Amino acid sequence: MKHFTNLGKAVAAGALAVAMSTAAMAADGLNFPNLTYRTGPFAGTGTPIMNGQRDYMLMLNERDGGIGGVPIDYIECETGYNTNKGVECYEKTKGAALVTQPWSTGITLQVMPRTNVDRIPILAPGYGFSPMSDGDTFAWAFNPPVSYWDGAYMILDYIAGGDMSSLKGKKIVLLHLDHPFGKEPIPLLEKLAEMHDFKLVPIPVGLKEMQNQSAQWLQIRRERPDNVVMWGWGAMNAGAITEAVKTRYPMENFIGIWWSGSDADLQNVGAKAKGYKSVSFNAPGNFPVLEDIRKHVVSKGNSEIKSEADMDTIFYQRGIIISMILAEAAKTAQDNFGEKNINAEQLRWGLENLDITAARLEELGMKGMTPPLKMACDNHTGHSGAWMLEWNGEEFVQASDLLTPNRELIKPLELEKAADYAKNNAPWPGRGDLACN
Amino acid sequence: METLYNVLIDPFVQMYGMPDFFLQVLWEGLVSGVLYALIALGFVLIFKSSRIFNFAQGIMVVFAALSLVGLHTFLVPFVGNEFVAAAIAMPLTLGIMYALAMSVERVVLRPLVGQPDIILFMATIGITMFLIGFGEFVFGGENKVMITEALGIPTGAIEFEPFGGFLLLEEKDVFAVVMAIVLVISLLVFLNKSAMGRAIRALGDDHTAALSVGISLSTIWVLVWFIAGVIALATGVVWGARAGVSFALEVIAYKALPVLMLGGLESVSGAIIGGIAIGLLEKVFEIYWGQPLFGGNTETWFAFIFALIVLLFRPQGLFGEKIIERV
Repeated sequence: MKHFTNLGKAVAAGALAVAMSTAAMAADGLNFPNLTYRTGPFAGTGTPIMNGQRDYMLMLNERDGGIGGVPIDYIECETGYNTNKGVECYEKTKGAALVTQPWSTGITLQVMPRTNVDRIPILAPGYGFSPMSDGDTFAWAFNPPVSYWDGAYMILDYIAGGDMSSLKGKKIVLLHLDHPFGKEPIPLLEKLAEMHDFKLVPIPVGLKEMQNQSAQWLQIRRERPDNVVMWGWGAMNAGAITEAVKTRYPMENFIGIWWSGSDADLQNVGAKAKGYKSVSFNAPGNFPVLEDIRKHVVSKGNSEIKSEADMDTIFYQRGIIISMILAEAAKTAQDNFGEKNINAEQLRWGLENLDITAARLEELGMKGMTPPLKMACDNHTGHSGAWMLEWNGEEFVQASDLLTPNRELIKPLELEKAADYAKNNAPWPGRGDLACN
Repeated sequence: METLYNVLIDPFVQMYGMPDFFLQVLWEGLVSGVLYALIALGFVLIFKSSRIFNFAQGIMVVFAALSLVGLHTFLVPFVGNEFVAAAIAMPLTLGIMYALAMSVERVVLRPLVGQPDIILFMATIGITMFLIGFGEFVFGGENKVMITEALGIPTGAIEFEPFGGFLLLEEKDVFAVVMAIVLVISLLVFLNKSAMGRAIRALGDDHTAALSVGISLSTIWVLVWFIAGVIALATGVVWGARAGVSFALEVIAYKALPVLMLGGLESVSGAIIGGIAIGLLEKVFEIYWGQPLFGGNTETWFAFIFALIVLLFRPQGLFGEKIIERV
């Protein structure tokens, strides 16, 4: 009996310790978990972005003591871009989390219903499910600053030179990863193909074929398309660009989505890929914010980058943008509620009411790095636009003015698909008890 | 009727109508097939000598390629010349693969001698996990560029104009095919003509009998794992030259599974012929039947279906040995 008493005391003490440590964690700072993929076949895309995200958060801690004086508790949980592991990571980190960053369309779709119950906002910048923009249906999900359908529209608009009717009679190949992410633009592209009378040829690339796409590029050679649009992630990008060079496809007619525009993917072929393009919601450059990161994080040996040159890459700088969006949402919530230690629901409000103006970007040392962003109850994306970047043989350079999506065209499709989603996942809570203000 | 036409007539019309394109398809299939055969050879060698299905063969390809590129990057600032650095990095990488073979034998295999096959198979999954973690810890997870030019691998292309069209052969693909042929011939000569090679075959035929005539199990296992490491390095270099070095290379190893089903787990010639057959057939099927009829991406399943059909008629594979056990 004495043993049982001791055991009971031990269990009680343990439970108390866990409870206290959880409370301490919650009080410790702003808990921002990130479901990273620094390992596996997609690490080439993930590692530089996660480095940028992490370094910005560390910089805020070092320079400003966090956000509004509250330190940021930035936590990484490694998924390897695997959906099952992603769900495990979500469950593991959700305890004190103010937000979840699932980092794959597959993981986003899996955790989306759970976040309604757990009342944790999803932040999926530049990825996820395009209809997430409809905040009345997806109250807890956010995908700023542009969605995949925005990206698909902007790419076609660029190809058409601003006149979509010029696409008539053209043949456009969509080379995409055979994965929820890769299939995401198909509904909008099919609609555009029907409206503007061009032929869309989707060509899927399986996970095992990412590094050997000879069959896909033989098909492209046979089809002789006017343009190839790529929806690639991780190792697929380098594989496709290598095959395009080999097939002697005109690189100026080859455009990728923003995840197909990493400097590392192009280095394998270097100058031979000159002319390749990628749409991007961040423009390259030497921005003042980089100096702060260098001073407060990199020079102190606290960054995970291999060399300072990594800071000049598109994906590292995109990671900074993504963390900035989260930090600004937290600040918006702190200012509105007058509380420094905000909770997940308040952060959700901060995301929904986020307004990053050009003046604010300048204050942050990011003028021209990304377009100003404004979200709203019925607009959880912002749709702020993107630039076309071009590979000049050594690096990406800006090749267009700001491109913007046609919201009048895309919004009805978003609402339709959001309604379908809610119907197929009934009872779907929608906005529930959350007021729009 | 239209479906029948698309299945039985149209593909052949296309082959005849665009013969240069058909030749290109065959060439791409041959290159893929040779590379599948190389990976399958690594599996076969280890299975032949120890009855272990080495799940770690794929990650060994990644680890070998990463070691080579990592050592080269490390050495260039010291020696100041890319070619000299590559010349030093190559034997050092072979040394790493030898050290890996020794470690696997000492730490993993030796304590498990006499255990059921499934235990040894699970141990190779453990080796895979270790190499993934260790590789990422040492080299990081980012894509890396294979040191193709520093290794002296040609990077140009050879163009032909058969039948008024064009056929393009990448020199690094030609190099891959030639290197694979040289490697396979060397391996066959080694297995058939050298004492060590005969010892490996003897172990594969009958462990107990081989041990009773004084063949050292430890030595042979180290040797076989080292040869599998060399094959992994060769595979990593040629695949890496095509699309960079990353952990995605590991996935390619799974393409060797239908090759093994087709060729048989114990047959070197089965791995080679099976690899080339699957490479050629899956490419031709994908281009002429898969893309028009199934929307493409049939390469993910075609080889497995084909191997399963073969197994219905020859359960031991095309070249595998029929095992008869007295019970």
